Amino acid sequence: MSTPLTPGVAPPRAMATLRSAPLMGLRTMVTVGARMMFHDKLKMIGTMVGVIFAVVLTNQQVGVFLGLLSKNTMFIDNAGAALWVVPAATQTLQAGKPLPMAALYAARTTPGVRWAEPLLFGGATMSLPTGGSEPVTLVGTKSPAWRGGPWNIVAGSVDALRAPDAMIFEDSERDKFGGLNIGSVREVNGHRTTVGGFTWGLLPFAPSYALADYDYARELMGTPSDQTSFVLVGLDTNADTAAVIRALQAKVGANQVLTTGAFRNRVLRYLLVSTGIGATTGTSSAFGLIVGLVIVSLSMFSAVVDNVREFGTLKALGARNRDLAVLLLVQSTLYGLMGSMIGLNQIAFISNAVRSPQMALVLPWQAYVATPALMVLLCALASLLALFRIRSLEPGMVFR
Amino acid sequence: MSTTVEQERAVDVRGLRKVYGTGAVAFEALKGIDFHADAGEFVMLSGPSGSGKTTLLSILGCVLQPTEGVVSLFGRDVAAVREAELPAIRLGLIGFVFQGFNLIASLSAGENIALVLKLRGWSPRDAKREAASILASVGMGDKVDSLPRDLSGGQKQRVAIARAVAGRPPLLLADEPTANLDGHTGLQVTEMLKDLARAHGSTVVVVTHDNRIFHLADRRVHIEDGHIQETEQ
Repeated sequence: MSTPLTPGVAPPRAMATLRSAPLMGLRTMVTVGARMMFHDKLKMIGTMVGVIFAVVLTNQQVGVFLGLLSKNTMFIDNAGAALWVVPAATQTLQAGKPLPMAALYAARTTPGVRWAEPLLFGGATMSLPTGGSEPVTLVGTKSPAWRGGPWNIVAGSVDALRAPDAMIFEDSERDKFGGLNIGSVREVNGHRTTVGGFTWGLLPFAPSYALADYDYARELMGTPSDQTSFVLVGLDTNADTAAVIRALQAKVGANQVLTTGAFRNRVLRYLLVSTGIGATTGTSSAFGLIVGLVIVSLSMFSAVVDNVREFGTLKALGARNRDLAVLLLVQSTLYGLMGSMIGLNQIAFISNAVRSPQMALVLPWQAYVATPALMVLLCALASLLALFRIRSLEPGMVFR
Repeated sequence: MSTTVEQERAVDVRGLRKVYGTGAVAFEALKGIDFHADAGEFVMLSGPSGSGKTTLLSILGCVLQPTEGVVSLFGRDVAAVREAELPAIRLGLIGFVFQGFNLIASLSAGENIALVLKLRGWSPRDAKREAASILASVGMGDKVDSLPRDLSGGQKQRVAIARAVAGRPPLLLADEPTANLDGHTGLQVTEMLKDLARAHGSTVVVVTHDNRIFHLADRRVHIEDGHIQETEQ
């Protein structure tokens, strides 16, 4: 408390304790910034709406995007395999070039492999009672282990697939398939098929999964017995994954051995790079942020213009530009945090309200952490316009 | 002798010029003014609108840079000070009373006063206590928590005066402090300003053309067309 104000100035009484507590000035500006913000409630609500809009729109876009990606990788994630043997140049989990059944035997004889099972993938068509037809993604899975599915069974049981003509369908598609129930009979690829159960949420970006016993699926798809689509591999507990991959890869030639993670990443990379999903969602999210930025920026600028006399007074009283920058930063931070909390609450509500197998917003915990940080940054950027106005403000205006 | 005189002078202005704009639109508001105010003196600047009195007050308040001349506050030429240093000088030396009160609308009367003290480094607790004490001294002890919108014009100006004297700055500058008040209230607040300044030993420069308060001045300086025309004791 003894720093002289300015050398040479010797006022009658000591005004010599100024700025001796920088944190005090900071605390003061924090208080004044918050009070000014809450005083003009209408403007605060207007600005907050901008932040909330940006939070909801951006997270909705990101959530839908992640949901789409999840739809395309859910089978890989739920198959329970450590390794996948896939045909050469496979980019997605779709039926493509067939895999020789020799790959299955090669896997079963590789040291470190605990089990290996074939998985058949292909398109099929279900004839409807109304005369129309609907496509399904037919998955053939081998009994008795049923590696690769089905999972999330909500009616019936997997053992129903032991019946010679049974299939398990997606629950959310029952109406679409003409009001399916357990025991309903439909024609799939010209074969009489009985409904043995229902899953929930097995709805990729393609037609929904319909699961059947491997041999029945092969019969429906007309796949030769020496071919399959993929081979799923489980490893011994202490197996060296890299060593198993090297050994198995040496046996399968041009076909590829991938860990579940690597296969998943390959599918994601394909979707992001080779399709328009990434660019489309990225653009929508960016627009959400830009619109939010503009709204917040204009609102904060407008708040400064409306209160220009108060800012001028603060400057005349001795507040420095950096003090007022702190004031704006406090307001930005409050707008960012409060807007994020309300916006995330809204998006969580929307996410639950619209959640269905057809559309699921997937928001990982990282989104709940990154959103407030991003919005505070965005609001701080938005306050720059207001800060420039304040910097150019002459304190002498208070006398005009 | 001259050294003694200068030390007693709170404000000493020599050859002050202020030109607004440039070229054909340039306007010379102050045309080489010499002015001073002694420590503890209560000086009024009067003159018609556009005479330059508010410009002089703005320069004394370090919120406007002069075009030419020396402006010495307590021995320091503030006209030569870098702009970045001016806020500290304003904060340390000067208390302002504005024509339009200029209270921060979102802060209570007490908080408006405490704000200045906190900017000066006072702790929140001390600033709050001092603000309440100053408000009580201007007869506003029961309005500590009132927002400016809930106060009358006279009450607002009392709070503004309390804010100006908070922390006892050695120089008080008031711009038309009675302009928005009725005659009786205007006289009251000016007397109050004078009493508080005297009690604190502050120098006061008041810009006014309210002849109802002229008699309160120790000295009245009349400005016209950018020149000092006459001085009355």
